[in-house]
Amino acid sequence: MVLTPDFDTRPVISFQHVWKTYPTGTEALRDVNLVVPEGDFVFLVGPSGAGKSTLVRLLIREEKPSKGKIFVEGVELGRMKRRQLPHYRRKVGLVFQDFKLLPNLTIYENVAFALRVHGEDETKIHARVGEALDTVGLTGKDQTYPANLSGGEQQRVAIARALVHAPRFIIADEPTGNLDPATAWEIMQLFLRINARGATVVMATHNREIVDLLRRRVVAIDAGQVARDDRSGRYHDDLPKPQIRAQ
Amino acid sequence: MIYRNLKFALNSAWQSFWRNLAVSMAAVVSITLILILAGVNLLVGHAFSQVIDGFRAKVSEISINVADDTPLSTVYEFQQQLSTDPRVTHVRFVTKEQALAQFKADPSNVVLAQQIDGNPLDAKLEVRVANLSDVAAIDTLARRWPGVDPTDPTNYQGDFVNRMLELSSWLGLAGVGLLAILVVVSIVIVMNTIRTAVYHRRKEIEVMKLVGATEWFVRGPFVIEGVMTGLIAAAFALALLVIAYQPAVDRFRSDIAFIPLSYDPSFVVSLARDLLVGGALLGALGSYIGVRRYVKL
Repeated sequence: MVLTPDFDTRPVISFQHVWKTYPTGTEALRDVNLVVPEGDFVFLVGPSGAGKSTLVRLLIREEKPSKGKIFVEGVELGRMKRRQLPHYRRKVGLVFQDFKLLPNLTIYENVAFALRVHGEDETKIHARVGEALDTVGLTGKDQTYPANLSGGEQQRVAIARALVHAPRFIIADEPTGNLDPATAWEIMQLFLRINARGATVVMATHNREIVDLLRRRVVAIDAGQVARDDRSGRYHDDLPKPQIRAQ
Repeated sequence: MIYRNLKFALNSAWQSFWRNLAVSMAAVVSITLILILAGVNLLVGHAFSQVIDGFRAKVSEISINVADDTPLSTVYEFQQQLSTDPRVTHVRFVTKEQALAQFKADPSNVVLAQQIDGNPLDAKLEVRVANLSDVAAIDTLARRWPGVDPTDPTNYQGDFVNRMLELSSWLGLAGVGLLAILVVVSIVIVMNTIRTAVYHRRKEIEVMKLVGATEWFVRGPFVIEGVMTGLIAAAFALALLVIAYQPAVDRFRSDIAFIPLSYDPSFVVSLARDLLVGGALLGALGSYIGVRRYVKL
């Protein structure tokens, strides 16, 4: 049975009977219904190939649903014109497992990049980048190149880039996938702080310990369907509480 | 905002050109070779058109021989008729005496002139026709004129003129065809070179798109890089062509003396304009097509 929590706040994201079938015939999502209210923190969990990444790709409009509708802040993504897409993506902060930093640019330039594509002026860029790097704890490293940073620091840069244009919601696809447990926890603290400031966070993850420790909303995807939607859930419904503690 | 985006695109294009220097230089060399071929085509075309223009000037003049017994008033009347004909640019009446004087003045006729008794030459109307293709019509008109010498009406050589016209149109067509082939080949080369550059930068493009860059924001730097590549290649091609132009013409003239090929320094200006504009356009178009697949949102 699919549970849709009854939140009081208005929905930021709404999936209505969404199906996604790839041209190869693979059915990645089957009749997905999901509502994410403003300020929510949602973990998307499930085994590899369950459909989490497809859900994220649909959310950032890299893919269109085969059937059904996806609304983000009242706008239907499937009907969004190509020329409107950049404006939509500027409202979203994206964080990926592989960081997606540009190796030839400094940390400052990487973060500033997200504002440059918006055509912001340099004074504003300078102030905002400084603020974002401060939020993620990387002040003073702005002239360093990504290759000279640890995995955790690179992910912080990616988060700073996602935050720099003050997005209303953050989509993170396995943001701790390449990090050791201690660093993963630090990164999660950052996401929690961002969420506490009012941003909605949707995070696809395989990190059982973190999901179980944070006890936030958990949407479990299995075989392309929403198998479980718990307001304060765990990675596996039937497993005992983990023994690993945060450092 | 447009200024900031343009500045970003220019900076990005400049950095990318130098960062991927090997790929950039491969593109420059390819386009330079193509533009050299195009330039040679233009120069040869120009040289031959000068030669053909010379021939045209000669054959577009027709002499109408006037029969000895034709009254002068009839001749003037016909001269008047020809002068008002829109196809004719100039008509000159040459009397029998003037014709003889012209004949004698020609050094190649010295021996013959000594043997001439009296004046066997006809008076003539020398007619210059604006368009080479109208010479035949004027010739027909002249042959129908009652005052024409029926034994030798005109000096019109229809076959020669027709062949000239045919040759000139074929040369023009061949030039256009060759240019068209060069344009297509160079677009394909630029497109593939830029596609290689784009492939190296696909991660950057992906990030650009994910953070909300518009298609033109992503495409701009590549198109500018293409224009830069095209202009640099055009400058190289132009330099090489300018250096080689005069020696090549001199060599041609000494080897094939009967074709009066000439060196025309004023053509270098229009060649420079054509190559630079052509190079920039080829670069821009090649980049635009090459990057299309990757920038599509």
